[in-house]
Amino acid sequence: MSSSRLARALPRVPRLARPLSTEEPPPLRSLDDWSRLQLKRAEVGTLIDIFSKYGSNRTPQNTYKLRDAIRRPVPNATTSSLLAAGAHFGHATSRMNPNFMPYAYGVRAGSTIIDLDHTVPLLRRAANLVRAVAFAGGQILFVGTRPDLRQIVKSAAGRIGKQGYYISDRWIPGTLTNTAELYSPEVANETLATPDLVILLNPLKNITCIRECALTHVPTIAIVDSDTDPRLVMYPIPANDESPQTAEIVAGILSIAGREGLALRMEEEVIADENEQEEMDEEFWDAVEEAQFEEEQASST
Amino acid sequence: MQAQRLLRSGLATLCRHAITRAPQRAFASRPPFVPPVQQIGGGSSLPRWQGERVMEDDLEEFFEEDDEAAIALEDEEVTRAMEEAADAFAMQEQEEGIEGEVEGSEALEESEEQEEEEDDEDEEFEFEEDPTLTGKQPPTSPNFYSGRAAYYDQLAQIESAVAHTRSALRMLQLLPLPAFARQSLPTRPAIWKTAKEMGDDLGIPMTSGRYRTLTRLLVQMNEYLVIATAAGCDELAERAKHLLNLFESSTKQANLTRGRKKVINVDHLGRSYTFGKRKTSTARVWMVPVATPSEKLDVIDLEMIDSLDEAEALMTSQPERFHQPQLVPQTAILINNIPLGEYFPIPADRERAVRPLKIAGMFSAYNIFSLVRGGGTTGQSGALAHGISKGLLVHNPDLGTVLRRTKLLRRDPRMVERKKTGKAKARKGYTWVKR
Repeated sequence: MSSSRLARALPRVPRLARPLSTEEPPPLRSLDDWSRLQLKRAEVGTLIDIFSKYGSNRTPQNTYKLRDAIRRPVPNATTSSLLAAGAHFGHATSRMNPNFMPYAYGVRAGSTIIDLDHTVPLLRRAANLVRAVAFAGGQILFVGTRPDLRQIVKSAAGRIGKQGYYISDRWIPGTLTNTAELYSPEVANETLATPDLVILLNPLKNITCIRECALTHVPTIAIVDSDTDPRLVMYPIPANDESPQTAEIVAGILSIAGREGLALRMEEEVIADENEQEEMDEEFWDAVEEAQFEEEQASST
Repeated sequence: MQAQRLLRSGLATLCRHAITRAPQRAFASRPPFVPPVQQIGGGSSLPRWQGERVMEDDLEEFFEEDDEAAIALEDEEVTRAMEEAADAFAMQEQEEGIEGEVEGSEALEESEEQEEEEDDEDEEFEFEEDPTLTGKQPPTSPNFYSGRAAYYDQLAQIESAVAHTRSALRMLQLLPLPAFARQSLPTRPAIWKTAKEMGDDLGIPMTSGRYRTLTRLLVQMNEYLVIATAAGCDELAERAKHLLNLFESSTKQANLTRGRKKVINVDHLGRSYTFGKRKTSTARVWMVPVATPSEKLDVIDLEMIDSLDEAEALMTSQPERFHQPQLVPQTAILINNIPLGEYFPIPADRERAVRPLKIAGMFSAYNIFSLVRGGGTTGQSGALAHGISKGLLVHNPDLGTVLRRTKLLRRDPRMVERKKTGKAKARKGYTWVKR
């Protein structure tokens, strides 16, 4: 009904005397038809590629994109990249937590602006911590319970290898404080079911998680927005918690630091193995020498 | 080096906040680090190596002496030093309460300490295989803390499969597909396992939300499978099909063909199995074509055989060669293991039962074995007729028209009508009384 009203309201489009020659292409029936379609499209793509070097030199890799897809993460954050991601946008001033004052830059259009000069060093501190925990063999848990944080949290945990874990749906109350109930008895007895570090990308929705971590002495890092009390977690990172780009940057930096820690741990493992091997070899040759020495002594006496 | 410094600063933060749950255990298997300034009697025999890592090879140079006596003396010293070191170590370990192997001479210890002081940035703590020293293993699945690791692992696997297929199709110029191409795609109906079945497979209770998420992904995969099959990308289609088979219902074929005529086949021995019904009787009917004996057998004349033994042997092994082959084929109809004539003494029932064979003209073409239950003579003979006509259709699909015209393939819907209240029988009323 509304579409017909709209059609009547709009001015009539003048029809061409001779219609354009773009007729409906025939439907695809055989495999040859499909192959022809693929080839034609590939040809068009190649043509575009050939001619694109005569135009702008921006490529998909070096254009600036403000999209939600996961990009290659960077190991260090700068104020400008955080600004571009919109990490400085806080919530409404009326909702600002008074304990957030030290991290607030000011107010604009009724919302708090977060001071990124505080964010960058705090982010670096958190990254150092993640690196150290990963190096020491600790379990690192990423918590991001929104649908748009799902992929971010999954890839961040993946970067830390077998020491990385993630929750993308819901923090089940009692995960840390009631392991015997939540998991089967053999799992509860044989598995170390407590993480060594928890990183939250939306702390306000996961207060239970923060509380349980406090009860079980697990250190926490979180992105705190202007309506969150930064004292809730051990290592707050003041930034916009509603922006997926900010979450991507922060999670990317922390997970890359974790990956570095893991790599250092592998190095140490290799060095330890080598040392062990050397010691074993030394023992062996010492034993051989002793045996020879004893033989000589026995033969001389 | 920068990484090491960063590492140290990270650890410093940890220690400052006293996070470790068992602080005396975390990095305690090494003796506490003593700064070089405070080392007592540390560098008497070896010179201090500043800013260089002490290597085993470098140490060797110091002990390179041709004098055998010197070597022997050194060995003695070394052994004594080893014993002293062992004692010292044991004492230290007792204090700290750790068990460990005693190794190293005094010289080695010194070199270690020097290594330590030069490389304190590298080796501030011992590499621990099990940092918590509890013997428990960390969880294997990255989804462990979600509480439903099996489901989320499976979900992650399917999501990655979908993503890979999508990128592969994009590379093959098959995605995004224009409208005219999409219209020429065939349809592939998909019937997934029920939520309960999937939950049993994964070992977790499957809620409707989780089921919906899973099936949405599977439907997407199904779409990609259709595109891949239509375009001839066999490998991709194979992999997609393999994934979807895990989640497709085992009753898919049954569900898809519900309401449509089921095709009955002849089994490996040439028998057809059909089912007939009439009134409250049921008949299970097996039909097999009668084997026609070969006419090419030579009939042996007994008088032509000379030896008695040969004759006896032939008679026992090939008895059929001693008679003229019967060209008239014999057929048998058994109902509940009783021949037709005995089971249906009334000729009307007999006629009713074999009417399909008469109409088809295949009176002696099939051996029929049947199990009939329920009802009375009329019902049982009618059920048998129904079963026989269906069986005939299996063996000779061309008879379909004839049998349908004569209504032999129709399950006679007439059943005994129930008795109603106020009537003597279904229809019969009570005798009308004037007053």
